Amino acid sequence: MNLRRYNIYFHTHTISGIFICALLFVIFFAGSYSFFKKDITAWQSGSTSRGKEDLKFNYVKLIDSLDQKYNMQGRDLSIYFQEQSLNTYVDMSVTKDSTLLPKKKKVEIKKKERGGGRGRRREGDAQYFKYHVTKGADTSSYDKSYDMGEFLYRLHFLAQLNAVPVHLGAPFGYLLAGIVAFLFLFALITGLLLHWDKIVSNFFVFRPWSKAKTVWTDSHTALGIIGFPYQFIYALSGVILIFNTAIIAPFNYLYYKDKPGGVYKDLDYTDSREYQYGYSKINKQVNISAYVEHTRKLWHDGFIQRVMIKNYGDTAMHIVIEGSANKRDNFSGTGRIIYNIQHNKVVYHKSPLTDITYIDRIKSLIYRLHFGNYGGYGLKIVYFILGMMGCVVIISGILIWLVGRDKNTIPAHKRKFNFWLANIFIAACMTMFPITSLTFIAVKVHAASTRDFIYHFYFYGWLLLSIFYVIRKNLKTTTRETIFCGSILSLLIPVLNGIYSGNWIWKTYASGATDILIFDLFSATIGALGLYSFYKIQQRDQKEG
Amino acid sequence: MPANKKYLTKSPFDRFLKITAGFIGGYAVMISFHHLFGYYFAPKYVVITAGVTGYILWCILLLLAFLAEKAWKIWLWYILLTVLFSSPILLNL
Repeated sequence: MNLRRYNIYFHTHTISGIFICALLFVIFFAGSYSFFKKDITAWQSGSTSRGKEDLKFNYVKLIDSLDQKYNMQGRDLSIYFQEQSLNTYVDMSVTKDSTLLPKKKKVEIKKKERGGGRGRRREGDAQYFKYHVTKGADTSSYDKSYDMGEFLYRLHFLAQLNAVPVHLGAPFGYLLAGIVAFLFLFALITGLLLHWDKIVSNFFVFRPWSKAKTVWTDSHTALGIIGFPYQFIYALSGVILIFNTAIIAPFNYLYYKDKPGGVYKDLDYTDSREYQYGYSKINKQVNISAYVEHTRKLWHDGFIQRVMIKNYGDTAMHIVIEGSANKRDNFSGTGRIIYNIQHNKVVYHKSPLTDITYIDRIKSLIYRLHFGNYGGYGLKIVYFILGMMGCVVIISGILIWLVGRDKNTIPAHKRKFNFWLANIFIAACMTMFPITSLTFIAVKVHAASTRDFIYHFYFYGWLLLSIFYVIRKNLKTTTRETIFCGSILSLLIPVLNGIYSGNWIWKTYASGATDILIFDLFSATIGALGLYSFYKIQQRDQKEG
Repeated sequence: MPANKKYLTKSPFDRFLKITAGFIGGYAVMISFHHLFGYYFAPKYVVITAGVTGYILWCILLLLAFLAEKAWKIWLWYILLTVLFSSPILLNL
């Protein structure tokens, strides 16, 4: 092997690794939990989506209630559906009918009230909220219906850091997540090249029962190599999903000089069709569910992802329905159909079964591989295990980095710095386990948990725990105690869920509420495995004396 | 054991040159290289493919910058390649 190259791979791998390790751990940990986002949502609200798949969305009820409150005339309404979930997101625009617009002053006051927070600015009386198919909009605003599933999902692309007022072409959190993902890709490639010559020989050298240091080194390389394809897919699809402007923006400039924004239209990210408002009321009853049902049949029971109603109550009213093919029929088909209501005809139709473009294929490949939604729970569990392996690789990487530099030849001040860096990183990473489990318990005990509650509880709790372990300055205790506490708390999750919401495991099992059941069982399993590894660590310590 | 310093770039200026060459130069080479394909394929297909291949290529170019013997040479290479790949634009083709 070329020694010069080897050392350059080594060094660049180390530097990029230590640079991103803490944030990458957060991304991996929160992201792994996010595979169960919908189950967590069902678990927290205590209402299952199982056995209700055939429930039809009641468009009349939603529109009537909005109409009474806001007057729907001339508005656009979008309803986003999620697979295997009864929660939908509803987005209502301001009216296009200028005769119905309120006076300017009123609009501006509302704007101020709603500013900040989610980074989504709404005009006038536009609304965005979660809507439950059976319960309706009793959870009326996004903030109130915010739950742990949403929180961890958003944490995994650092959305909460968007509050940092640094804007370099993208919200700060997303930019940071993009940079971390790109450097992760770099660290993966250098890591693979670094171990290239020893992949086969080292693969069989896993010495879990020897000295502590060899355990870290071996687990770092062995788990890193086993998980490589998975992590590579995640680094790549992650950077594409969060940061694709880096590629799209220059091409938008190079290829689409004459038609600004053309690239987004060409890639099907935006639909630039204009639906000119007609200023005359439509004089017929519109049965939206009939259009949706017709489309579902047309697409062989495909999944309806989005229903958009344009110019409600106007002669220029249109219904746009977007969806994807049934996973059994096709992996990557996406479709769109547009109905003109006045003339009751299809204006545009792209079938998800037959009209599949190259762009559809690439996009769904990236999307499905990243979300792991092309299989059932088995796949998600495998994905979760691989994700946790990523966490182990990160922690063992930090430890290798520290131990490799803990020698007498290294000056004392540098060793001190190295220790503090590793101390802080390990404390911040490892405390994520107990605080996540504790927050799951907290949202059950404190029933009315809003976004603010979750934010305060999770972030302040995390900070306090991290500071506690940073001060104690003992990496061994940090890992050991966090694993122990986290495991006990995880084991308590199903119990407290039973006590506070009555959803005991046997009850959810009997009633077929698998989404709630899965999360309880999942937490219990994590707790049990955590305790087992804690026991193993204790055992070894006694042996080594 | 940390990497052997003997093989690493010592001068901070050289290191700065290499890092910038990898990030900025590599990016320019990657974009201009993909842009060439737009003369043969429909631009939208190039853009969506570049989303995948672009990041990998950029990553490899970043690594190549670190592997280079001379920092100024890699900058020169990347500038030359970018100019070469974007010659159709520069010549207004």
